[in-house]
Amino acid sequence: MAGKFCVSLTHAKDDADKATVAFVVANAAVGSEQETMVFLSTEGVRLGVKGYADDVHEQGFAPLKDLMANFAAAGGTIYVCSPCFKRRGLDENNLVAGAKIVGGAKLVEFLAGGAPCVSY
Amino acid sequence: MGETDDIRVDAEWNAGDMGCGELVLELRARMKTLRPGQVLRLTARDPGAIEDLPAWCRLSGHRLARAAHPTYLIERKED
Repeated sequence: MAGKFCVSLTHAKDDADKATVAFVVANAAVGSEQETMVFLSTEGVRLGVKGYADDVHEQGFAPLKDLMANFAAAGGTIYVCSPCFKRRGLDENNLVAGAKIVGGAKLVEFLAGGAPCVSY
Repeated sequence: MGETDDIRVDAEWNAGDMGCGELVLELRARMKTLRPGQVLRLTARDPGAIEDLPAWCRLSGHRLARAAHPTYLIERKED
């Protein structure tokens, strides 16, 4: 991997367009040999739950579940904000492939070396 | 204070469900009260702690002597 790349996503079904494009860009990054991490926070954490994204399919893009599965299969990592996840009462034992529950220190470590981050 | 197997424990803190920034900020303050080489036994039940505490130790320079969620032994770094 040539470098690190972060995609920060704060939306889920409340803005399926942004959620979809975030994973399109994440796939571009991981496909460009970047160590890529998608950081899900606030409403975005809902995407970390298996099955949630199954019915999201924005016109002109692949279904979100496929984008997420392809991302994980290519070696991408999804960090899920722990307090955001907890306050929504979501199930930490039912995460999508490639997802990990993390707190702020893990995000800081990823970015502290100067990794770029694009936000949706 | 006690021993965990072969590691002497000098202080303990049960952080309960505290996580993310709140956890590491309080942890930073507690580590400052220890002398270099002393060990804190931390109980942190937040699921994010599994990834966060090793990352925090790498960032801060304190040594993660043992990690078996929810129990973590953290050795204070040298000044």
